[in-house]
Amino acid sequence: MISRWRIGFVTAGTIVVLALGQAHAASGIKIGVAGPITGDQGAIGEQGKNGAIIAVEEWNAKGGVLGKKIEVVWGDDQHDPKQAVAVANKFLNEGVAGVIGHYNSSCSIPASTIYHGGKVVQISWGSTNPQFTERGLWNVFRTIGRDDQQGSVAAAFIAKKLKKTKVVVLHDKTTAGQGQADEVVKALEKHKIKPVYYGAITQGEKDYRPVLTAIKQKNPEALYYGGYYPEAILLTKQMRELGMKAVFVSSDGVWQQEYIDIAGKDAEGAYVTFTPDQTKIKEAQGIIKKHKERFGSEVGAYTVYSYAAANILIEAIAATKSTDSPKLAEHIRKTKWSTALGPIQFDKKGDVLVSPFVVWEVKDGKFVEVR
Amino acid sequence: MLLQQLVNGLTLGSVYALIALGYTMVYGIIELINFAHGEIYMLGAYMGIVAFSVLTTFHLTAPSSGATLFLMLLAAMLFCGACGVTVERLAYRPLRNAPRLSPLISALGVSIFLQNFVMLAQGPRDKGFPHLFIRGGIDFPGGRISSIQIFIMVTSVLMMVGLQLLVRRTKIGKAMRATAQDKQMATLVGIDVDRIISVTFLIGSALAAVAGVMVGMYYGLINFFIGYIAGIKAFTAAVLGGIGSIPGAMLGGLLLGLIEALGAGYISSEYKDVFAFAILVLVLVFRPSGLLGADISKRV
Amino acid sequence: MRTPSRSMPLRQRPLLRIVLASLWFGLLSLPLMMELQAPYFGLGRPLMVSVVVGLVGLLWWLASQWSERLRHVVARVVDTGGSHVRQLAEGPGRRLLYALALACAVLIPLGLNRYYIDVLTQVGMYVTLALGLNIVVGLAGLLDLGYIAFYAVGAYTYGLLSTRIGLSFWEVLPLGALLAAIFGVLLGIPVLRLRGDYLAIVTLGFGEMIRITLNNWDSLTRGPNGIIGIARPKIWGFTFSNPIHYYYLIVAIVLLTIFVVDRLNRSRIGRAWTAMRDDEVAAEVMGIDLMKTKLLAFGLGATWAGLAGVFFAGKMTFISPESFTFFESVIILCMVVLGGMGSVPGVILGAALLVILPEMMRQFALYRMLIFGGAMVMMMVLRPQGLIASPRRAIALRREDQARSAVVKPASERLGLPSRGERKRGTP
Repeated sequence: MISRWRIGFVTAGTIVVLALGQAHAASGIKIGVAGPITGDQGAIGEQGKNGAIIAVEEWNAKGGVLGKKIEVVWGDDQHDPKQAVAVANKFLNEGVAGVIGHYNSSCSIPASTIYHGGKVVQISWGSTNPQFTERGLWNVFRTIGRDDQQGSVAAAFIAKKLKKTKVVVLHDKTTAGQGQADEVVKALEKHKIKPVYYGAITQGEKDYRPVLTAIKQKNPEALYYGGYYPEAILLTKQMRELGMKAVFVSSDGVWQQEYIDIAGKDAEGAYVTFTPDQTKIKEAQGIIKKHKERFGSEVGAYTVYSYAAANILIEAIAATKSTDSPKLAEHIRKTKWSTALGPIQFDKKGDVLVSPFVVWEVKDGKFVEVR
Repeated sequence: MLLQQLVNGLTLGSVYALIALGYTMVYGIIELINFAHGEIYMLGAYMGIVAFSVLTTFHLTAPSSGATLFLMLLAAMLFCGACGVTVERLAYRPLRNAPRLSPLISALGVSIFLQNFVMLAQGPRDKGFPHLFIRGGIDFPGGRISSIQIFIMVTSVLMMVGLQLLVRRTKIGKAMRATAQDKQMATLVGIDVDRIISVTFLIGSALAAVAGVMVGMYYGLINFFIGYIAGIKAFTAAVLGGIGSIPGAMLGGLLLGLIEALGAGYISSEYKDVFAFAILVLVLVFRPSGLLGADISKRV
Repeated sequence: MRTPSRSMPLRQRPLLRIVLASLWFGLLSLPLMMELQAPYFGLGRPLMVSVVVGLVGLLWWLASQWSERLRHVVARVVDTGGSHVRQLAEGPGRRLLYALALACAVLIPLGLNRYYIDVLTQVGMYVTLALGLNIVVGLAGLLDLGYIAFYAVGAYTYGLLSTRIGLSFWEVLPLGALLAAIFGVLLGIPVLRLRGDYLAIVTLGFGEMIRITLNNWDSLTRGPNGIIGIARPKIWGFTFSNPIHYYYLIVAIVLLTIFVVDRLNRSRIGRAWTAMRDDEVAAEVMGIDLMKTKLLAFGLGATWAGLAGVFFAGKMTFISPESFTFFESVIILCMVVLGGMGSVPGVILGAALLVILPEMMRQFALYRMLIFGGAMVMMMVLRPQGLIASPRRAIALRREDQARSAVVKPASERLGLPSRGERKRGTP
């Protein structure tokens, strides 16, 4: 009998503790930050998380917004659409004023319908799939360019600047990578260039020599790769190892110091499309310095996007003096923002009006903007 | 091009084979698909980097000397061996007499745990591997074979031959075979079954560690997630060759590597895994216990 | 079974064991956790691991002192709980119990917020999936690591038919289930001869083949971009939009699943599956058509995945190949094994636990999956047969006892030989 009571007490106690844990009262303004913080894309999630942390800490150091401190609520979606929806519902429950995220388009899109239903503004820092904004939802924005915006810059560069005609286009079969590669193919056609090889590799694998060996037979002069830096490192190294001389051109996902550090000499002379030099943008100075102090490393590519997204959201709250989402959305849409990414203006759909992509070159172990 | 693709495929296959050996040994002795084996391989790669940075930070050995490479391999083998034995002790031994699928689930738990442990301890970003050791290569008409590719192939073959000798010729190998055939009988003839199983995990994990360090050197890039794909591929290789058979694992690994390389090179890089699995199904339809898989009574 | 091991004397010195274990784990975590550049090489972190392991060991030991056989007590509580549930589920009160459970399922969500309802909806989806896989793995004993492929078939059936032809949810629901069943049978045909782990790898390969094809067949599936704008379910002019609507829909699907799976389990086919699982040769001798039975298991198991897939597509209104990875198959398998293979309440409990646990651990942020992995190992070690073990095996043993006492024992007594049953027990 006694043991039964004991079990009852323990169970009841556990429930009470859990309930209390859930119900801690909130006084500040909450902002949801979402992305794949664990799982296979944890590295990218961390970048987005860091950007938002720095933005919020800067604001809190200045006394917060509307006289209240800003609180960050995490939402780890693990790169899983189902969990993204759970995170979205959790955010609505917690009463967030807005959401910075998600990263993967496959997470942002299903989550955005939840945010739309719950009337919450969502600014993605990494979803590049055109479909994210094409559905006419009033609450979605993104600080990152669309896949189609970046591809045309790269294609023009290959055709006009490099004057290469034998081009290989590869991608990693992710939404962003394929979107960029397809856009490059489309834009190259305008310059009367037809790729000599078009194909995909599998993300996460380590050996791309077989497909590169096949590509080598076509004697390409340039190789465009739509994807992220780990695969880009391997492609670059293995290309050179096989004795291929083609110029390596890639997208913003490769603009990472690791690309140069790990690929070493092989990375020299590679080109990457990315936003203009952040060290020359006044608004970006804060984050570049703070990131080094706070996390002991250089900013990652997505850190700045999420930093800019968080700043836009908080500034909108400060300017409209409310957390009412339709008001926030309207303000975000009509304001000309000056952000760490440079000047940004949103169009009706929530995309950045002019995507500020330029071409960078790897020179002496550094990314240098190509004039 | 064909020659180059064969080189590519054989190197890739040697790595799969080394990891597959661990699967096959563990399977042979306790009939468990050790899903955590891929993570042990990942731990090996990380331990290689750690050993390298310790050795160079304290100027113990010259960065690109053979001694450094040897010590890196040794450290990784010891560390992974210890991890393998610990995992077995904690997660599999208590389940020795449980229903067949229960240890499989605890293996998955271990796999998730180790992956996240490494992510937390070493950070989620990709790490570069020191690429100082084996440089150069041999050019041949239509391609090139690098020294490290030769090194990987030779090491894999040596490891396999050594393992085969260990299992066939030594006393401990005899005990392993006895344990694989019948644990109860093995106990009756005075074999410490628990110890033999620990030794099996030790050897299998040490082989995975070697694979980890070699892969790190070959590709120059590792992260906490590399065990996942490598684990699936190595498991496929082990089954293709006949799970439980040591030469089978080697053959399966090489074959899988070749199929992948030729599939990606000549047909389609996107669908190469589909071909690999399709060939696996075909092989199994005609030889239901893999290429070299023997009767169930002749494991290890 | 247990052999004397060299560490035996340590058993008498628990404190020494705890100290050694904590040192060992500190040592193991040392290489990956230290930082050469940090002060004291960052040795604080491995030291923390040591201390934590030591404390946990100490607590465990104290707890075992406090109630000498805590583990057994826990096991007994779970066991009696399980058998109570089972008795209730099978006894005369089962109607009442079912009604009570149904009332809970219908009424409780009314007081919950949308996040909890969404999590419960996920639980429902996984219950359907896990019950379907339970047919293949738990009842028929065929290890299937590619089960998620059928879920993908269901989801893409609705995704494509809804966006291309404009078929409604209710029209596709049976269609998706049917198509998944056909895929199940198709998978079954080439693998009829395979056993155990060979079957596992082929099903794994099948799952991956489906996922890779979905990811690469751009003209049909739009590849990694996925299918967008899938219609929400509608009924008599009412559109499902709120989480609670989906919740009630999945409750209905789960009820159907439980009802059918339970019937199947008790049917002739169910007994044929179990017979085949326990011994294929004996089953064949008893006149069971192995081929038909296996194909039925694959087909009927896949049906539920197809249903869940259609529901998933309707709920998310967006699907992409990322939702159908090998890891997902593995998690569903975990639900079946952890809950207790072959037992319907067990599988439901397993599904609920594996969905709710990671959600509850959200507050641990980065440590969430680490703890989840550890918890999986611990649950398995503490309850190897699953949380609620399958009842059929228990009944079978009891019957064997009765049979022995009735027939075999007198015969063996007469001859002075060990009985068949005893000899049988000797060889596991």
